[in-house]
Amino acid sequence: MSVTERFSAIRKGLLEFLILRIIASDKVYVADMLKRLGTTEFATQEGTLYPLLSKMRREGLVDYEWQESDAGPPRKYYELTAKGKSQLAELNEYWKYINATISQLGR
Amino acid sequence: MQKVITINLNGNAYQIDETGYAGLVAYLEGAQRQLADNPDRDEIVADLEQAIADKCRGFLGPHKTVVAAAEVEQIIREMGPVDGTGGTQPDDAGADRKARDARTATGAPRRLYLIHEGAMFAGVCNGLAAYAGVDVTIVRIVFLVLGLITKGGFGLVYLALAFVIPSADTSEERAAARGQTFNAQELIDRAKKNYADFKSRRDWRRQWRDARRRWRWHAWSVPPPSPPAGGYGARMMTGLLVPLLSLVSVLCFWFWLWAIYSLVTTNEVLGQALPDDIPLWGGILILVVIYQAVAWPLHNTRRRVVYYSFGGGYQPSIVAWDGVMSLGFGILIVWIAYQYLPEVREIIRTVPDVWDSFTR
Repeated sequence: MSVTERFSAIRKGLLEFLILRIIASDKVYVADMLKRLGTTEFATQEGTLYPLLSKMRREGLVDYEWQESDAGPPRKYYELTAKGKSQLAELNEYWKYINATISQLGR
Repeated sequence: MQKVITINLNGNAYQIDETGYAGLVAYLEGAQRQLADNPDRDEIVADLEQAIADKCRGFLGPHKTVVAAAEVEQIIREMGPVDGTGGTQPDDAGADRKARDARTATGAPRRLYLIHEGAMFAGVCNGLAAYAGVDVTIVRIVFLVLGLITKGGFGLVYLALAFVIPSADTSEERAAARGQTFNAQELIDRAKKNYADFKSRRDWRRQWRDARRRWRWHAWSVPPPSPPAGGYGARMMTGLLVPLLSLVSVLCFWFWLWAIYSLVTTNEVLGQALPDDIPLWGGILILVVIYQAVAWPLHNTRRRVVYYSFGGGYQPSIVAWDGVMSLGFGILIVWIAYQYLPEVREIIRTVPDVWDSFTR
């Protein structure tokens, strides 16, 4: 079992956190998110992202609005709700905490 | 000839051929099944259809109105399997593969380095093989054949390359030597492998000796603490500069020996006679001081150049090469002098006599 495989569950779990971060930094639509994730360890695909975004919307973390684009049909631009913002703040804190724990435990 | 089917993807009409259509229907039906329990099923499927439509548009142009089966296949691959759980189950082999593709696709610029891992000698063939993307055995055979054809003369080329090409010491450099983007994953893998090697070979003793030598090297040259390793260019320069400095040092040394010889035998150096009030041993002392004054900065510069460009690391290889090269230059210079300077030939011929008169 390679290390990438070993960490696949962790990456999967972190995807939602990263999506929150991406949406917090900018108003984005799905193709933007895929592009930003595409060059990283967290590269993902529409088949994963759309269901995830719909789940996050059901949980009230993100919302979208339709915006006309200059090329093609209107797009869904996602943004964080108030709940999403506080969730992200918590996750950021927790992530820092986890990192600190890892660097303190052993070497 | 393929039948063309017009489809409606979230309100966009597209024409695709029959095989492509079958693939697309299978994909969207699979998505429907996966999302059967999802309250947002219809919306997600509409989003997916829209995404597929956008990708289809990318394949069409003013003179291309039908999306081919292969293109549909590619689109479906890009979309990836639909995850009905909304990202709660750890099953993303697709994303894994894509991440790997992304890594290899955005390759860092490849650079020529010496690669010591698995090298026979200095890692020249290894580095060249990685640079050219061929098997190292092929490069070695080519080198061997060239060596045989030139009756060993090609060995000099190897030596020159070993000296001029910087060696890949950091993980980033090793990655660049193979034209890959450096990533933490490789670092972990390599560290693991190195640790295993380290343990299996049980060469901690050698490692310890190296460490001690390194410490002594630091204490001896007393440089400022831990200078950063130089860049590729700086190290290329070192490769060229160190042999040059060696050559100059060796020239100085032989010139000095010649000056002493000349002083002892003819009581003059370069036509300058030794003043009467200075004894012979005084003249020799002066020559020693002059030699030290010239050679010491040269020697020091050489050491500094090596030291700074390699980030303070003790480089046994470069020191060894330096020694070998100095010796080589020394012999070469004597040989040339013997060939072309009658005086030198005379000196060398008289050396046994001088030796005899000393020992007798």
